[in-house]
Amino acid sequence: MPLSDKDFPVAEHTLPNGLQIRLLEDRSLPVCTVYSFFRVGSRNERPGITGISHLFEHMMFNGSRKYGPKEFDRRLEAAGGSSNAYTSQDLTAYYEDFASEALPLVLDLEADRMASLTIDDTSLARERDVVKEERRFRTDNDIDGMLAEALGALTYLAHPYRWPVIGWMSDIEAITRQDCESYFRTYYAPNNCTLVLVGDFDSKAALKEIQRLYGSIPSGAPPPGVPTGEPPQKGERRAVIRYPSQAPALLAGFRSSDGRDTDSLVLDLIEAALSSGEGARLKRALVYEQELCVDAHVYFGWRMDPGPFEVSLKLNPGVDPARAESALWAELSRIAGERISDRELERAKNLVRSQLLRALSTTNGRAHTIGQMEIMLGSWRSMLDLPDRYAAITAADVQRVAHKTFAPHRRNVVTLFPGEVEA
Amino acid sequence: MTAADLQLPPLQIEKLPSGLTLLAVQKKGLPLFHVRLSLPAGACEDPRGKAGLAQFTVDLLRRGTRRRPAQDVDEMIESMGAHLYADASMEEAALALTVPAELSDRAVDALFEVALEPAFEDAEVSAARRRSIAALQSDLDEPSTVAGRAVVTLGYGPGHPYAHPAQGFCRDVETFRREDALSFHATRYQQLGALAAVVGQGSPAELLDQLKAKLAQWEPSWPGKSQRIPLQFAGLPPGEGMRAVVIHKPDATQAQVRIVAPGLPRSTPQYAEAVVTNTALGGGFTSLLVDAIRVDRGLSYSVNTRLHMNRRAGLSVFSSFTKNETLRELVDLALEKMRGYARSGPGEDSLEKARRYLAGLFPLGLESHEALAEQIADALLDGLGLEHLTTYRKRVLGVTPAQARTMAGEISPARDGALLIVVGESEAAHKALSGLCPLDLKQLEEFA
Repeated sequence: MPLSDKDFPVAEHTLPNGLQIRLLEDRSLPVCTVYSFFRVGSRNERPGITGISHLFEHMMFNGSRKYGPKEFDRRLEAAGGSSNAYTSQDLTAYYEDFASEALPLVLDLEADRMASLTIDDTSLARERDVVKEERRFRTDNDIDGMLAEALGALTYLAHPYRWPVIGWMSDIEAITRQDCESYFRTYYAPNNCTLVLVGDFDSKAALKEIQRLYGSIPSGAPPPGVPTGEPPQKGERRAVIRYPSQAPALLAGFRSSDGRDTDSLVLDLIEAALSSGEGARLKRALVYEQELCVDAHVYFGWRMDPGPFEVSLKLNPGVDPARAESALWAELSRIAGERISDRELERAKNLVRSQLLRALSTTNGRAHTIGQMEIMLGSWRSMLDLPDRYAAITAADVQRVAHKTFAPHRRNVVTLFPGEVEA
Repeated sequence: MTAADLQLPPLQIEKLPSGLTLLAVQKKGLPLFHVRLSLPAGACEDPRGKAGLAQFTVDLLRRGTRRRPAQDVDEMIESMGAHLYADASMEEAALALTVPAELSDRAVDALFEVALEPAFEDAEVSAARRRSIAALQSDLDEPSTVAGRAVVTLGYGPGHPYAHPAQGFCRDVETFRREDALSFHATRYQQLGALAAVVGQGSPAELLDQLKAKLAQWEPSWPGKSQRIPLQFAGLPPGEGMRAVVIHKPDATQAQVRIVAPGLPRSTPQYAEAVVTNTALGGGFTSLLVDAIRVDRGLSYSVNTRLHMNRRAGLSVFSSFTKNETLRELVDLALEKMRGYARSGPGEDSLEKARRYLAGLFPLGLESHEALAEQIADALLDGLGLEHLTTYRKRVLGVTPAQARTMAGEISPARDGALLIVVGESEAAHKALSGLCPLDLKQLEEFA
């Protein structure tokens, strides 16, 4: 059953400077969400300034012409709102959730920083320290982070997906104010942004206000292309980490398809079959039946360029990683070798459909989904027929994509062993 | 900002003679249906020497019922596109499912079957015990998880019903047998003090009828009231000075920091004052502590203070982390700011910001099916009533400077008797904290 555009009467506009606008009124609660999606992430970086997309995300909260340092969040919170942001490999998203009467302020805050962000050495130095702490927290002292960083560098030789979104520590240290200024000019122009409003507001009035505030911001030159070449993988690749942990861990990855490829929808279903819910294949086999792991989990999300399909195994203390790895390959061979039953396929489809519906059940979730569809698939309307596209996937599609994706020569494996690195 | 009361969606509440509360909430829009069961079977009910039994029991529910084995239970739930939420908090065990609206009957049946007819087969109990122990050991690899476990264990102190993490400790979990789960289930999964909630597109009356019709099938297997020993909640002992505990995490380049002091229960009549005053101190992104520690000095990525408000007692907790080299700077700064705040409270601007921030965002916390059911259920079970939600914004906006000043002294974690917990490399932490206060060293394994 498709979603109906009657339930999602999204108004679409584009300003002469290229700013894309998507408006969805919903008067059920006195709240709004505004998202600003910029088409820039770590894939737009280069060695030497890895992590600049994320560091820059921090810099966006440090003041602009009209609203000085610390003013962005102070004004917003004082008006009954909160803000946050995230950076991925493909995009950077900023959002505000707020009491609906604060909409004019929120638009003014956002437009002001797009038009006239302040980038100074003092705030850059401070944010650099904050980001280094974030990196110590998420990567240097975190097993999942360590594994993910090593796997990226293993799976990609040439593509920018090779480095972590947070960047290498030495690059975070080296990024200069000039790098940030150039980055801002290149990627934060209105023609590289999609603005999404969802909630309790009047569309006509909101559009008028957006035109007033954003209309005079000049568009920028089209951002440079991304070096997307990646040589075909011709054999398994491995890396080892030694760290004083309680238990071993393993992260395996396979370079797969990009978000616009229908195979990515098939991989969503494969993810659901392998790791969504306690009855999923990997959980049943590796956690419950063979008792090899505390958790077995798949990470797969749509990417602009062919992204990784990753499987994380958090092993029970004392388990030999080789045993867990063999069990994992057996499960991946099974889904590639034997056709999935109708019942299991239906289960996967239902789980994926419910996930989409739940994402649409909050104001923030609707705004995020609309923007994400625009950036990743080219139009928010893609979400309407997603349920039908998933429904059309067959057991043969699952087998074909699994067979192609999980071929042994495409494996990339990082294993963490408890212990110290020998000096 | 207008101080209008919040309008809850149409709902109906009925209390049965058994002590079970029924709640039906109408939510139009997406074709989803949510069912939730809250039971008086939280971690505070864990018998002495059996820390973790409430969580262990709720985890086992899905591992087979009297009607079907574990694999078929998963199939029953996940074929509907649903994930079973089954978890124990300090106060309650809760189970919940969200499904497409057309599957509402199947969802209610599935939830009741899992909650009320578990098989607790020996083989499943043994396997669950092994899984729990492995997970507890594994958790030691996450410094923030260890810090969280230390906060409740050390913050409430020995013998207090809240003084252990819901997952318990390996030493206790190792003793769990089938009889423990059976006995816990028989005595705590009762109707008295429980609440069944449904949220869907139908009218509240229709939803309530549907719930009652289903309930009739399950009543015979659901005890009304069981014999239970009432819990003893002694007041938290007043402390003097500050003491510190360092939990050694080899090779850590960053230290997790917590500062803990006795706080307030959720039933406090000064709930709004407490929440507003905490928000100005360390709740929002522009709070005093975030400003001082992150924005001005770049010492940490994350800084906050939280009120851990359980039904009968609570804690005030400061949380942050920083590299080993700046541990002392962060601790000194946090203590200085929190002590100053305890004396003088928030300034006029900070107070106004905190009030409006909380009032403006509050409706978002009631948006999803799951949040509606949980928030209303908690308000009812905690004895706070629907007014707790409907008048929240008005109460928050009405907090005065004088009230906030008084409250600042009660919720600031940096008070006499405060406990500083550091999870990090012990040698570096010892050196950094030298001369600050008496300091104990503990090993990670004590918190597994």
